Amino acid sequence: MAAPLSGGDAAHAVLVRLEQVEHLYHGRIRILGPIDLEVREGEFLALVGPSGCGKSTLLRIVAGILPPSRGAVRLGGRPLKGANPKAAMVFQSFALFPWLTVVDNVAIGLEARGVGQRERLKKAEKYLALAGLSGYERAFPKELSRGMKQLVGLARALAVEPELLCMDEPFSALDVLTARAARDLVLDLWASPEVTTKTILLVTHSIEEAVTLSDRVVVLKANPGRIADTVDLAALPRPRRADAPAVRETVDRMYALLA
Amino acid sequence: MDLGLVATAGVLLLVVLIGSSHLRPYDTPEIDPRPALLPIYLLRSLARLAVAYGLAVVLALGTGHLAARSRFARRLILPTLDVLQSVPILGFFPAAVAVFIGLFGGSALGVEAAAVFLIFTSMFWNLAFSVYESLITFPEELTLAAAQFGVRGPLRWSRVVLPAVMPNLVYNSILSWANGWYFLTASEIIAAGPARYTLPGLGSYLAQAITVGRNDEALVALLVLLLTTVVLHLVVWSPLEMWAERFHLEETGARPRMPRVARLLARSRIVGWVTRVVVIPGGQRLLTAAARLMDLPGRYGTVFAALLGTAVAAVLGYGGLRLHALVTSRRLSPEVMDIPLSLALSFVRVSAGVVLAVLIAVPLAYLTFRGARTRSVVLSLLQILGSVPATAFFPIIAVGTVRLGLGMNVGSILLVLTGTFFYVMFNVLSGAAAIPRQLDEAAAALGIRGPRYVARVFLPAVLPSLVTGCVTAWGGGWNAIIFSEYVVAGGRRYEVMGIGAMLDRATYVTGDRQVIALSLLSMVALVVLVNRVFWQPVYQRVAARYKMET
Repeated sequence: MAAPLSGGDAAHAVLVRLEQVEHLYHGRIRILGPIDLEVREGEFLALVGPSGCGKSTLLRIVAGILPPSRGAVRLGGRPLKGANPKAAMVFQSFALFPWLTVVDNVAIGLEARGVGQRERLKKAEKYLALAGLSGYERAFPKELSRGMKQLVGLARALAVEPELLCMDEPFSALDVLTARAARDLVLDLWASPEVTTKTILLVTHSIEEAVTLSDRVVVLKANPGRIADTVDLAALPRPRRADAPAVRETVDRMYALLA
Repeated sequence: MDLGLVATAGVLLLVVLIGSSHLRPYDTPEIDPRPALLPIYLLRSLARLAVAYGLAVVLALGTGHLAARSRFARRLILPTLDVLQSVPILGFFPAAVAVFIGLFGGSALGVEAAAVFLIFTSMFWNLAFSVYESLITFPEELTLAAAQFGVRGPLRWSRVVLPAVMPNLVYNSILSWANGWYFLTASEIIAAGPARYTLPGLGSYLAQAITVGRNDEALVALLVLLLTTVVLHLVVWSPLEMWAERFHLEETGARPRMPRVARLLARSRIVGWVTRVVVIPGGQRLLTAAARLMDLPGRYGTVFAALLGTAVAAVLGYGGLRLHALVTSRRLSPEVMDIPLSLALSFVRVSAGVVLAVLIAVPLAYLTFRGARTRSVVLSLLQILGSVPATAFFPIIAVGTVRLGLGMNVGSILLVLTGTFFYVMFNVLSGAAAIPRQLDEAAAALGIRGPRYVARVFLPAVLPSLVTGCVTAWGGGWNAIIFSEYVVAGGRRYEVMGIGAMLDRATYVTGDRQVIALSLLSMVALVVLVNRVFWQPVYQRVAARYKMET
């Protein structure tokens, strides 16, 4: 089935809009696009696809750390230049600065925004606590397990209180159990009144992960990376268990899409 | 196209041409030989080294960072650095001195500035390369994270760039500082044509004592030098290295490490104290201050590079005209005809110096590497030896070899060896230290020992470092050749035919600018040519096959 891009849900304003975005390798070979995509306020949007389909590239374009070779990125109607001020990113291999303590890592985005030392420590501590890392403020990243490192990465992104949280395969470097706990934590924080960030863009290669977490899944195919389909999961009840029949059936349907 | 290569040639050319036209006789008195004055001489030498080092670090950070960030700047900077580090900069000293003395209107400050400049040239290249390498091998996700969280300006320098380059910068600073000592004598006694400038300092004191034959004074000076090296390791370099440990990226694994005198002498009690009391509190402040400083020119990096490019092009045109005038203004000196043969002879000597260095350094490095207990002793000794300004001992070595009946040809190769050996040795050692422990364990588990271990594990593992060492040694050898083919000791001249001897004669005796310019240019051309057609392809092939993945 090839459902069209599920037509504009008027209730949700568009946060980021990509128009005919392409990414060229060495300015010649098109590895991504053209792509039209909307990230809507308050939604949990997942990008899935095989490796090499450009899903991470797409995420970086949304986050403003990679300018598109062609096309436009619009943020509330205005073209985006440079790092997306409304977005914060969680990286696959954590990207923590090894020479900064946990709390300094979490505070670095605030420091860059000129937040005073007291205020930023307070905020960093708050988000570390929300991530369940109270007591590790003065530790260095190398003293933490992989799962804890990624939680620091999550706290760092949330600490700048972005409207959009971009996550690049955040759970793929973790073992199965740790990944499950981290996924649950992300959903809890998303629902928590303490966290102001309500829009999430997740890149993953795991269809199960996309289906259990998101409201809407954009399926990409490779060579060059384009949108194969968009699947609306808003009707799928939460909390979702991976072994629930409705979830299983959706996952199977999407595997068929990708095949 | 090698923009940088052309640019460098232009600048060097101009230095020679302008420099040699300003020479005027100028004699400084012999320096006071009383050993009681040694502390003052030592302080003056240290001050020169420190100023040169400070300049070198700041400029290395600027250029290395610029080269890593801007593709345009990279195309200009990398070839320039590459050429300059392999060019026999010592040959340009007299001319460069004249430029500085001219700039300062003939005052003593000009001579000091010249000396600092000469020391600077011995310290700068590897620092700049280390900054560049650290930044281009920096994990991409960290760079992206910094960009994504809006980290820029001074904050980016203090939280990302400086920490990223710090471990390699400190490691290379130790090598640079040793290089500075090696050049000290040459920079404190500068002879150019009829002019001779002697700056009071440890290097000039040592050289004078040796030339005149006052052995006890030379011995005292040498002891002061060795003691200073040890003390500096204890109170400066080792604490800095310990401090820099915190900036390691855990993922990159083993890195060249050198155990130091510190570990041996004090079981790092002094080091620990200095680290705690001075380096750690001071380090953060230094980092912040340096970040503010480095952020200034970085903002205008591309403009700066473009201006530099234009200036260099202008200089190149002007230099070419001057050279043309110099060569056509009168008949060529008969000596110019000897350039090809001299160059060939020097080529053989430098090559012999590199080959000998490899033959000695590789087995020595292997033994050092295997004998874990002796390693730190050998390394410390090597570091101290590498810091000795060997040029001061050239007269002794030359006279000694000739007295032994080996002839000055052997003598000059031995002198070249002092300029090649340490590059090869330190590079092979750092390559050996970077052999992953798992590889070693796998070899042990498979029963690979002895000669088979050397052939299958050790040599392949150190090969990229060995080639790097050879390339730098090749440059160092050409630097040394300038003082190695022509030595004056006890009123006698010891010389062999070669491009170094020709250059020395033209500089110190005849003052023939035509010969100076042409012999320098032909030497530079040969060095650069061999780098391009031999060393670079060799390195690329070796690196492609033998480089460890990090």
